[in-house]
Amino acid sequence: MEDDTKTRFAEKHQDLQQELDKLKSQEEELFKEMQSFITQKSHVDAKIKTLGKIVPTLKNLKLEAQTLVNTIHDIAESSETISNKVRNLDRARSRVEECQQRVGDLIDLELCSQGVQTAILNEDYEKGAGHVHRFLSMDQSLLQRTATDVENISSVLKAVRTLQDAASQLRTIVQHKFDEAVKMEDLGSVERFFKIFPLLGMHDEGITKFCNYLCGKLEETAQKNLHTALNTSLSDKRYNVIYADTLTLLFEGLARIIDIHQPLVETYYGPGRLLSAVSLLQKECDKQVKRIIIEFNKHRQVNKKINQITEIGKMSNSSSFSKIEKFDPKEVDILIQEITIMHVRVELYIKFIRRKVLGDIEISTAVAEERIKSIAALDKLINSSDLSRSKHELLSHYLQLEQYFMEESVSKAVSMDTPDNSQHTSSMVDDTFFIIRKCIRRAISSGSLDGICAIINNACGVLENDFCAILRGRLRQGYPSGYLDLTQAYNVLQTSIQQGRLQPGDTEQIRTAFIIALNNADASTEYVETLCDSVLYDVQQAIPNMNTNERGKLESCLSGLSSVITNLRDVIEYGMQQLRASAIKPRISPWVDSFLNINHQLSEDELSEYEAGESFVQTLIMNLDSLLSSFKESLTSSNYDGLVKMLTTEVTARLEKVILKSTFNRLGGLVLDKEVRALASYLTTTTTWSVRDKFARVTQIATILNLERVSEISDYYGNEGSLTWRLSPPEIRTIMGLRSDFKSDDVRRLKL
Amino acid sequence: MEDFKFLFKVVLVGNAGVGKTCLVRRFTQGLFPPGQGATIGVDFMIKTVEVDNEKVKLQIWDTAGQERFRSITQSYYRSAHALILVYDISCQPTFDCLPDWLREIEEYASSKVLRVLVGNKIDREDREIPTVVGEDFAARHNMYFLETSAKEAENVERLFMKIAEDLMQQARSKDLPRYDSNTTNISGRTSAVSDNSCCSKLA
Ligand SMILES: Nc1nc2c(ncn2[C@@H]2O[C@H](COP(=O)(O)OP(=O)(O)O)[C@@H](O)[C@H]2O)c(=O)[nH]1
Ligand SMILES: [Mg+2]
Repeated sequence: MEDDTKTRFAEKHQDLQQELDKLKSQEEELFKEMQSFITQKSHVDAKIKTLGKIVPTLKNLKLEAQTLVNTIHDIAESSETISNKVRNLDRARSRVEECQQRVGDLIDLELCSQGVQTAILNEDYEKGAGHVHRFLSMDQSLLQRTATDVENISSVLKAVRTLQDAASQLRTIVQHKFDEAVKMEDLGSVERFFKIFPLLGMHDEGITKFCNYLCGKLEETAQKNLHTALNTSLSDKRYNVIYADTLTLLFEGLARIIDIHQPLVETYYGPGRLLSAVSLLQKECDKQVKRIIIEFNKHRQVNKKINQITEIGKMSNSSSFSKIEKFDPKEVDILIQEITIMHVRVELYIKFIRRKVLGDIEISTAVAEERIKSIAALDKLINSSDLSRSKHELLSHYLQLEQYFMEESVSKAVSMDTPDNSQHTSSMVDDTFFIIRKCIRRAISSGSLDGICAIINNACGVLENDFCAILRGRLRQGYPSGYLDLTQAYNVLQTSIQQGRLQPGDTEQIRTAFIIALNNADASTEYVETLCDSVLYDVQQAIPNMNTNERGKLESCLSGLSSVITNLRDVIEYGMQQLRASAIKPRISPWVDSFLNINHQLSEDELSEYEAGESFVQTLIMNLDSLLSSFKESLTSSNYDGLVKMLTTEVTARLEKVILKSTFNRLGGLVLDKEVRALASYLTTTTTWSVRDKFARVTQIATILNLERVSEISDYYGNEGSLTWRLSPPEIRTIMGLRSDFKSDDVRRLKL
Repeated sequence: MEDFKFLFKVVLVGNAGVGKTCLVRRFTQGLFPPGQGATIGVDFMIKTVEVDNEKVKLQIWDTAGQERFRSITQSYYRSAHALILVYDISCQPTFDCLPDWLREIEEYASSKVLRVLVGNKIDREDREIPTVVGEDFAARHNMYFLETSAKEAENVERLFMKIAEDLMQQARSKDLPRYDSNTTNISGRTSAVSDNSCCSKLA
């Protein structure tokens, strides 16, 4: 037990010892710490002392920050106030300006109201109107308000009233003075007061009064001119164009007025007033034009002539050949001349107005819509004017008279037709185209594209219906070929005499007439071509600014002339057929047919005999040559070519026929080939173009008949680059069959 | 050359105000023109159409109706292939004038010309000429008849196409083309598209 206790004690002791050690070391540590605290204490004390000193400073800082925030806040507030103030200041300044203006107005008002009366009394209307103009430029409602603002209400109102009175007074005076100046024909004063109107705000009145004045002047001059015109003696150089002259004077006067006064109007009234001025002048223009045209129609008997023409037209349509009183186309020639001058003058004047007013619209209106409206108004003014209507009527009269002139002159040219020996043609061609050209040129001088086109259309009608018909009629009578066709010639003569077309004469005369008609048709084609070119050129000169539509119109009408050419070619073709039937075919047939009387199966001896004598082809060529030479001199070269072409067709066709009726041996074929070549080369020399083509078939026939053996055909047939055959394989076989020495079996076996 | 084979001239006649210009504008430009002025002299418009796969050029001449333009407009009758005579179904006087127009056509136009009678403005409520009356007149004068409205584009296309087709058929059947080296003229003086005309050098 003891042990146990002992152990426990020892253990306890050990524990306690450990505890003590621990405590000792703790004590030591604590001591050390305390020591350290003690050393730190003075330092901490110093720190605490310093901190104690800082506290009041921090308090101050906080206060100052608070003040700063307040200040900033204050600044923001005051800057807001300032900008308000500036705004107010601005408002105030503009009020001041306004006020100045009002004061100025008031001062001017006072001055004007004082001055205006004096000016009126002194008859210084420019000055007076100047004052009124100043007054009118003031804002009238503002003026009223000013009056109520100002203490001295009555003085302002008085001034306003004075000026209002003065304005109306001046308006009356100026109108009166203007009228008086007009009455006194005091041009200076007229212009003086004309310039005053716009100052008084009387733009429209000014323009109207002034234009009325100008119209009066215009009327006076126009009446005088018309009077002079009516008293022009027949012997006067200008007698025939006196109405055109009078119209020209009128337009020149109007143009001068516009040219002189346009700058005046623009300066004193501003741009954009020309249209209203021109429309006022247009009324007088319309009136005067009408007067001139009435006198013109009366003295030139225009309507009577037009009626006569209409009657003649009706009569000839109903084909009753009764004698209607026709008049000489020369009689209307002079009249037509005058009408075209009148028409072109109107045209030019209208163009002048358009140009002037368009210019004024251009500078006065910037807005596109307004401009379009103004231009439409201008077009309406022009199109609805009597002037335009008169223009259309002049053109209508011109066209009717010109149509008569053209038809009658052409028919006269035809009836007075005389052969022109040197030209192969007769006078009707030259004359007709001279007339047509003259008419078209005159239409061009009228300045109207519609007129030009109508005359071209009419010319096509005259050429196709009248001119071509006459040529065709002459050709219908045929070409009597003398001894062979006595009966035919006789018949032609008979009918011609019966129809009164020909005097009884010899066949020669009918032949000449026929040839000339044929030549006339040929010459006419060239005339028409030249006409087309020259008309196009002339129109382009006369109307340089055609638009594409106008060009199209003109070109379409000109193309009508080319169908005249087609017509003329038909006439020539018809004549050639006539010639073929009566002069060529009957002569050629017996010549070619003599081929049938010749032996084509020759021995060597016979061949030399044949070649020594006169051969078939020599005789044929001789005959053809004499036939052709009888035409060579009388036909135009193109017609002569046509004749040779036709003759060649006839000869080759006939020759082909007679060959097919003959039989040949080798030598006969040889001769034929030579003869065909001779004939072809002869005809080639007679004309400018190649006759080879027309000879193709006959040449090929001769080639076949000239073969040594049947098989030789393969040299010509079937291989590339050989002949272009005009004969079909069956034809080739048939032709080979004409050779008596070719075995028909060989021919049949040929592969073609 | 231009690429059309046939060229036909079509001329419109009839009193002023019946709607000729509107018909032409409707056909060529597809619009109904607002308040344009009356036609002065003649107007000229072109439209190419296709018939049986062939290009056909229609040259349309729109004439002024007033008397004072008569001598201009008459000059176009002679070479016309088709004439369209127009009246206004809401205006009796325009119908009453038809015989006068026919007389003029008789006097100046070719006898072969294709003639068409057109009663225009069928959109209007105030009709004065019943359809049968127009039909009857056309039948008596051997004319093709159609009622149209340029405003509502009714029958306008049909009118011109019908004319193009008829003229084409005429050109093909009556006068077969002549293979002349000088001209491709198809029916005598008509429908010539001449390729060596003296005027072709203008184009
Ligand atoms: N309601 C209606 N009015 C039309 C028609 N066609 C034309 N008009 C009117 O008729 C008037 C004359 O037309 P316009 O073509 O100038 O006639 P034109 O003188 O024969 O060329 C114009 O006011 C057109 O608006 C239509 O089909 N219906
Ligand atoms: Mg019209």
